[in-house]
Amino acid sequence: MTGSTARVDHIAPSRRLLRSSALLATLALSGCDGRQSVLAPGGADARVLGDLFWVMLGGAIILWLLVNGLFFYVTRINRAALSRRFANGLIIVGGVIFPTVILGALLAYGLSIMPDQRAPGDGLTLRVTGEQWWWRVEYWPEGAEAPIISANEIRLPAGQRSEIILDAGRVIHSFWIPALGGKMDMFPGRETRMSLHPEAPGHWRGQCAEFCGASHALMAFEVVAMAPDDFALWLAAQEAPAAPPADPAGIRGAEVFTREGCGACHTVRGPEGRDSQPRGAVGPDLTHVGSRLSLGAGTLGTTLEDFETWIAHTGAIKPEVEMPAYDHLSAGDLSDLAQYLKGLE
Amino acid sequence: MRYLWQMLAALAVLAALSGGAVVTLGLYNVSARVGHLPGVSWVLHTAFRNSVRLRAERPPQLPDLNDPALIELGARHYDWACRACHAAPGVAQSPTMAAMVPPPPHIETAVQGWQPHHLHWITANGIKMTGMPQWPAARDDEVWPVVAFLTAVQDGMTGAAYAALTRLPDGPAPQAYCRGCHTPALGTHVPPLAGQGAAYLRMSLRAYLDGSRASGIMAQAVSRPSPAELDALATWFAQQPAPTHAPPPTPAPLIAQGRALAHAATADPDVPACAACHGPNASESAAETPTLVGLPPAYIRQQLLLWRDGARGGGSRAHLMRVAAQNLSDADITALTAYYTTLETNGTGPENE
Ligand code: HEC
Ligand code: HEC
Ligand code: HEC
Ligand code: HEC
Ligand SMILES: [Cu+2]
Repeated sequence: MTGSTARVDHIAPSRRLLRSSALLATLALSGCDGRQSVLAPGGADARVLGDLFWVMLGGAIILWLLVNGLFFYVTRINRAALSRRFANGLIIVGGVIFPTVILGALLAYGLSIMPDQRAPGDGLTLRVTGEQWWWRVEYWPEGAEAPIISANEIRLPAGQRSEIILDAGRVIHSFWIPALGGKMDMFPGRETRMSLHPEAPGHWRGQCAEFCGASHALMAFEVVAMAPDDFALWLAAQEAPAAPPADPAGIRGAEVFTREGCGACHTVRGPEGRDSQPRGAVGPDLTHVGSRLSLGAGTLGTTLEDFETWIAHTGAIKPEVEMPAYDHLSAGDLSDLAQYLKGLE
Repeated sequence: MRYLWQMLAALAVLAALSGGAVVTLGLYNVSARVGHLPGVSWVLHTAFRNSVRLRAERPPQLPDLNDPALIELGARHYDWACRACHAAPGVAQSPTMAAMVPPPPHIETAVQGWQPHHLHWITANGIKMTGMPQWPAARDDEVWPVVAFLTAVQDGMTGAAYAALTRLPDGPAPQAYCRGCHTPALGTHVPPLAGQGAAYLRMSLRAYLDGSRASGIMAQAVSRPSPAELDALATWFAQQPAPTHAPPPTPAPLIAQGRALAHAATADPDVPACAACHGPNASESAAETPTLVGLPPAYIRQQLLLWRDGARGGGSRAHLMRVAAQNLSDADITALTAYYTTLETNGTGPENE
């Protein structure tokens, strides 16, 4: 990109225009790969918003054609003076009545779809808290007394509407899954809510949509809609305590985890009664981190190598991140830790 | 007019040439024996006194400068860091030091006419072009013990009192020097060493030596033994039985609040569970993680403030602690200090009741 901007001075204006519009088009299209696009809806709310967008766009195109057609007609086709009666009529019909009707209809349409956006959920409630720069996620199935805790990933049963309560830790964030619905701001100390209704199983990406500090751009999350039965199985697995790997590397990794005080900020829920570790909550819950789809809030994948990279170079990957870089660990300790965490499925 | 300009230009060239000659040909006599031209000493000294009065700021609250432990800590640092130049109460100055230009005044004269915040400023900043050194670490909080000592000298400390204050305890040599300060008597300001592991002590001594942990007092202290002796000292201190300490009286709710914070059992997720690294039950932690049991309250509080401000260095794991402390509030620090100073030993204490 820098290369092409540096050369811009030497090319003719028309080619420059062509180039920059090509660049813009590429940027715009890259937003439409479907994983994070309002134009590829996967949920009822996003579909309504998509419809609204297409209706608006269609209307705008028709209006544009009408206005410019008229303009073309009076300047090129019929250059003679218009009759006074016709001109007055045009102003009253085209300038007053037509816009009032159109805007009124759009307003009515817009208002009519609002209740859908605020519809209550069918049972499952999620509680999502925006932290700097990751997402604390709690699942509250209907009637639950304690939440099932996860992080940086939103899973929803397909074909149902789920309630989402939003909150924030220290600064304002905004919760947005473009493929499933509109965005909603998250405020420290004030709850906001929304609900989402994925129509079929699918896999998308969400992103914080309100500037929240140095690593705002690196505050994303994976979104997965699952068939209700699969979802129930998945949720039961998340509720279970950690099943630490039993291979020698994994066992050594668990020791490194304790020795290095990772538990000060992270919880790994142990089997009932054997839970002597404090439950740190500064960072994401890691009880089932091995089964997640990303690390560092959508920043890295979850290969063993990704785990090692994250643990040893946090600050270089995410500026100002609140986890210290464990760059003093030996290569052996790092790979054991990665084995252990990856094994926490 | 033109003549005037030519005159000025010629003078300027001449001045530059003679200045160059003084520097390059060695014409200026730097001999201390020759001293300054008449009046120069007076100008410099007056400028110094007024400069200190203009710059030294009175803090809103002074530490208790009459605290005997603070005075003794200051005296013991003074004895190894300043005495060579300024002598000591009741002791004559060495003739060599008195022959400096300007001469360091005997400490009994040096302290006259200054208020505590002036003495703090002088000790922290030093005095340019006189040989009076600045504090060897970028930390102003540790200068107060020395100020407490200097005000005690103002109040007429006798030679006998000074000798008693700075006497080394009995025992083998390098340890005795360290034990002068690291003794329960100074326990409110100086951390005990017995009770810490050898790895942590060794790492800390190296960090003082290479400046990665800032402390003017300890930087001076570690310059006394040889590096090899330092490692032996770390091992020796780690083997001593941890001193029994009487926890200071502390309100129970404050202890409970600190315990909850230390075990991440509060609703506030901003504070990492200190217990995961420091225990109680710290036996599984990295060897370079200190125990907090038995550390004096003023020391824990001061260290936490330094960590939070990013001013506390250390070894290869110091950044873990820096991140852990970065979001502590003043109230958190008070509660955590209350909890850890009332823990009896690792694994016992209020949290197991
Ligand atoms: C001082 C607190 C702190 C300590 C100590 C700490 N972490 Fe973290 N950790 C965090 C925070 C905060 C995040 C979230 C960072 C972000 O994405 O912005 C995090 C994120 C992670 C993640 C990514 C989780 C996810 O779902 O994206 C892993 C894995 C992890 N830490 C492992 C470790 C390990 C292993 C250790 C010990 C060697 C450790 N952490 C020590 C605070 C800490
Ligand atoms: C290398 C010698 C040297 C050492 C070491 C030294 N000083 Fe000084 N100090 C001086 C000299 C020289 C002056 C005189 C400055 C002047 O007269 O302008 C001075 C001035 C002072 C003064 C101001 C005296 C006055 O003129 O009013 C104080 C107070 C003082 N020193 C305290 C200390 C303390 C405390 C220490 C140890 C932390 C210390 N000095 C270490 C050389 C030294
Ligand atoms: C003049 C008094 C004094 C003397 C002498 C002294 N110390 Fe210290 N020591 C202190 C003070 C004050 C601190 C706290 C410094 C800080 O804030 O980092 C300290 C801290 C330490 C620490 C760090 C402890 C911890 O919990 O982090 C070690 C280790 C130590 N001293 C070892 C020694 C050894 C070994 C000697 C002898 C060579 C020695 N000290 C001599 C005053 C002294
Ligand atoms: C991830 C591990 C970790 C966590 C969590 C942690 N610390 Fe530390 N702490 C350390 C290490 C390592 C050091 C020593 C660093 C050095 O000197 O190089 C240390 C040093 C200290 C010291 C200085 C002790 C001395 O003798 O000088 C104090 C006080 C302290 N920590 C208090 C706390 C408190 C209070 C908390 C909870 C808010 C906490 N720590 C959380 C690792 C941790
Ligand atoms: Cu953001």
